[in-house]
Amino acid sequence: MKVLRNYIKSLFLLEMFKGMRLTGSYLWRKKFTIRYPEERAPMSPRFRGLHALRRDENGEECCVGCKLCEATCPAMAITIETGPREDDGSRRTTRYDIDLFKCIFCGYCVEACPVDAIVETRICDYHFEERGENIMLKDELLAIGEENRDRINSDLSAQAKYR
Amino acid sequence: MTEDSMVTIEVDGQELKAKAGAMLIDVADQAGIDIPRFCYHNKLSVSANCRMCLIEVEKVPKPIPACATSVMDGMKVYTKSPMALAAQKGTMEFLLINHPLDCPVCDQGGECELQDQSLAYGSDVARFVEKKRLVPKKYIGPLVETNFNRCIHCTRCVRFSAEIAGMREMGSTGRGEYMKIGTYVERTIDSELSGNLIDICPVGSLTSKPYRYQARAWELTQSDSVAPHDAVGSNIHIHVRNNRVMRVHPKANEAVNECWISDRDRFSYEGLYSEDRLTSPMIKENGRWVETDWETALQQVADGLKEMGAGTGALLSPSATVEELYLAQKLVRSLGSDNIDFRVRQSDFRGGEPALPWLGLGIDEIEAVDAVLVIGANPRKDQPILGHRLRKAALNGASVCYLNPLEYDLNYHAEQLLSAPANMADDLAAVAKAVGATGAIIDDAEVKAQHQSVAEQLKQAGSALVLLGNLASAHPDYSILSALAAEVAKASGAKIGFIGEAANSTGARLVAAMPTDGLNAQSMLEQPCKGYLLLGLEPDRDFWNPTQAQTAFKQAEFVVALTAYRSASLEAAADVLLPMAGFAETSGTYVNGDGTWQSFAGAVQPMGEARPAWKILRVMGNLLDADGFDQNSSQDVLEQARNSADGRQLDNSVTADLGQERRLNGSGLTRIGDVPIYATDALVRRAPALQKTADAISAAIRINPGEAAKAGLADGDRATVIQEGNLATMPVEIDPGVAGGSVRVCAALAGSETLGGQFGEVTLEKA
Ligand code: SF4
Ligand code: SF4
Ligand code: SF4
Ligand code: FES
Repeated sequence: MKVLRNYIKSLFLLEMFKGMRLTGSYLWRKKFTIRYPEERAPMSPRFRGLHALRRDENGEECCVGCKLCEATCPAMAITIETGPREDDGSRRTTRYDIDLFKCIFCGYCVEACPVDAIVETRICDYHFEERGENIMLKDELLAIGEENRDRINSDLSAQAKYR
Repeated sequence: MTEDSMVTIEVDGQELKAKAGAMLIDVADQAGIDIPRFCYHNKLSVSANCRMCLIEVEKVPKPIPACATSVMDGMKVYTKSPMALAAQKGTMEFLLINHPLDCPVCDQGGECELQDQSLAYGSDVARFVEKKRLVPKKYIGPLVETNFNRCIHCTRCVRFSAEIAGMREMGSTGRGEYMKIGTYVERTIDSELSGNLIDICPVGSLTSKPYRYQARAWELTQSDSVAPHDAVGSNIHIHVRNNRVMRVHPKANEAVNECWISDRDRFSYEGLYSEDRLTSPMIKENGRWVETDWETALQQVADGLKEMGAGTGALLSPSATVEELYLAQKLVRSLGSDNIDFRVRQSDFRGGEPALPWLGLGIDEIEAVDAVLVIGANPRKDQPILGHRLRKAALNGASVCYLNPLEYDLNYHAEQLLSAPANMADDLAAVAKAVGATGAIIDDAEVKAQHQSVAEQLKQAGSALVLLGNLASAHPDYSILSALAAEVAKASGAKIGFIGEAANSTGARLVAAMPTDGLNAQSMLEQPCKGYLLLGLEPDRDFWNPTQAQTAFKQAEFVVALTAYRSASLEAAADVLLPMAGFAETSGTYVNGDGTWQSFAGAVQPMGEARPAWKILRVMGNLLDADGFDQNSSQDVLEQARNSADGRQLDNSVTADLGQERRLNGSGLTRIGDVPIYATDALVRRAPALQKTADAISAAIRINPGEAAKAGLADGDRATVIQEGNLATMPVEIDPGVAGGSVRVCAALAGSETLGGQFGEVTLEKA
């Protein structure tokens, strides 16, 4: 009996028509795909994308080189070296690298930072063409922070109440 | 109740036996019961001012400090009762009122007692919203960084300075909110133990300046080692990050260094990263230095040494490890030469030394002696931890006397006999006569009141000690001095001790890194050898007579130097430079002054192509087809070295003859060429922070006002020292602490390498 039923089902492509019906029904519904990259999906202010290092309103880098982000990073993606800065002797990083191949975008570094120096921006589309470009250097991170200054600041204040 | 009767107390329900009169906090510590504290430190006096250790005791209405409460029989103590916890929490809140939220930028972060305690006892919300106190930071020297905002006024640093460093350098002024720690007047802290302030401060108020902002405690891996600078062999922890030594901390060892180390041991690691580290083998080709590979360099060395054969002289650093010295002497002996010596700062080899000189007693026994006579030594600067033990002895009531050509700035009361180098033997003979000894010089000695008083003190003491140090062993009449010292010791019933000059002076003798019938360090330079093997030495700084050494090396046919550094003088002297591993880069063993063998492992990889010297020597042995160079590890070498040392006993018996000819006579001016504390070896000389301290003096003619007037010199003049036709021009400093008839021109400093021996006749000419 079963064999017969299956034979008839496959002979008349019954399952395929069922599927086509589902597909067909979408043809007339309202579309929810977006035309990336011209169009973008909404993002949370807590989105964890590419990192940035912030500067404060005086242009001074926020990072004080406490190495808490380095210590907390589960992927060991951050490498920091510190020392007293030449001119004023304040504690600064002399090297701040994030290896984006290692990073898992967990945001722990952001959580750990006592001065909101390292943040994760909404930038999520970037690519590398050469080996080594995956390592973001301090200057690059600071530049990203400057470029996206307003966005970062508004995101920070938006999420302040959850932290 | 007598002091040593035992009492039984109960702490948190646990029954404990304790000595009556012991402090509660100590008893709890021994039982592993944790009581929080800041101001208490077991090596310092109790001040009970932080109130962190408050605990509850039954039948006492208020919480009381455990650090200032002695145990009593039947006492019932609760360290975790609600009353105790409330008291601790309250104290914590008060302490944090003025403490800044500095942890992210504070070097103590991650190893801070305040952080730990506030995690355990603090609250998570601060109720204090008013302004915090601000205290400006003060400059207290190149080693210790201050940030008094963080100070919690435990006064550990104040007590350390007064009680351990013996300098009332720090104190507190003001009360309550206005209390401030500092040096009373703006000045630097010039103690040779000042680095310990960094450890003693429970917070980040006093931190290390060279290590400032370099690393975090959690990034460091720790390995144990032994300090390479003096005969104490202080136990240390080396903290490493990314194959780089980041800092050095003391490792507590009651028998050696307690919980302190000297600044030299703590900060010398910086010298490892000096620019003139030698990182690849180099050979001289037609007068030019070229880098090469190990194979070529070693082959050249093997060929060279083979040719030199029995004409080779080996001069070895007394700071080299037992393994290195053992292999070096074995290698040279296999060439048929017995010209091996490590006593590069000695000039009198007439047999005044005992067979195997050592300290004569354990380092920790020094503080229990009743009288000490120190001859030709300044332990405070030469072996700071030994100096500290001597100070403890003095504070315990021992009478300490010094016989030196220089008057030292001591941090305890001591009688100092000031005697020109040429007269030291006479003064010592007078002391010997006063204690009742007889003999050649002794009988003619003129006993004065000061000799009599030293003699009385030695004779009356229950346990007395006569110590000879660095200046004595460099003295041209060392034989006579040590023979006289032995007479003094014999007649007064004192022990005699020889403070070895370097980390391994005792070890070098144990592995026979000295000639049996060959040439000694002095004669090897006087009658130059055909070739030389140098281990860890710099021709212009490390020899008794640098001019003689440099000349001898220059005229030698072949000189190979195993060294961690390249320097102009080595490049002028050597034909091949082999880069050897420096401090912390090699495993090894040191035998300290009291004969304790202390082994350590390497903490970091040697820099560049450098290799541990024992490996270099072992391969050299193979290339020379010598027997017995098949060790696979430094432990193998150590085992053989130990076996070879088996028959040798530490032995301080002096057999020298008192009637020997005196080499220094009192006519004219005599040079005193002591080696200052931060010039002792190649590593220290390259440690930048130490070189900025007040103790890192530069070359000068130091002379007392009387002699200066005679020579027509004034403070600040420049003058030329002429010693055996060798000249050096340097500034003049008036120093009343220099004995008459002598002038202090330190050795091992830049500018003094053109002069002759550490002691000798000089003339001064105004430049
Ligand atoms: S997001 Fe996570 S994995 Fe990436 S750097 Fe920060 S802590 Fe490391
Ligand atoms: S980014 Fe933040 S957490 Fe990381 S070192 Fe700088 S201040 Fe510290
Ligand atoms: S500086 Fe440090 S050791 Fe000295 S009183 Fe302050 S907290 Fe205590
Ligand atoms: S440790 Fe007891 S009062 Fe400070």
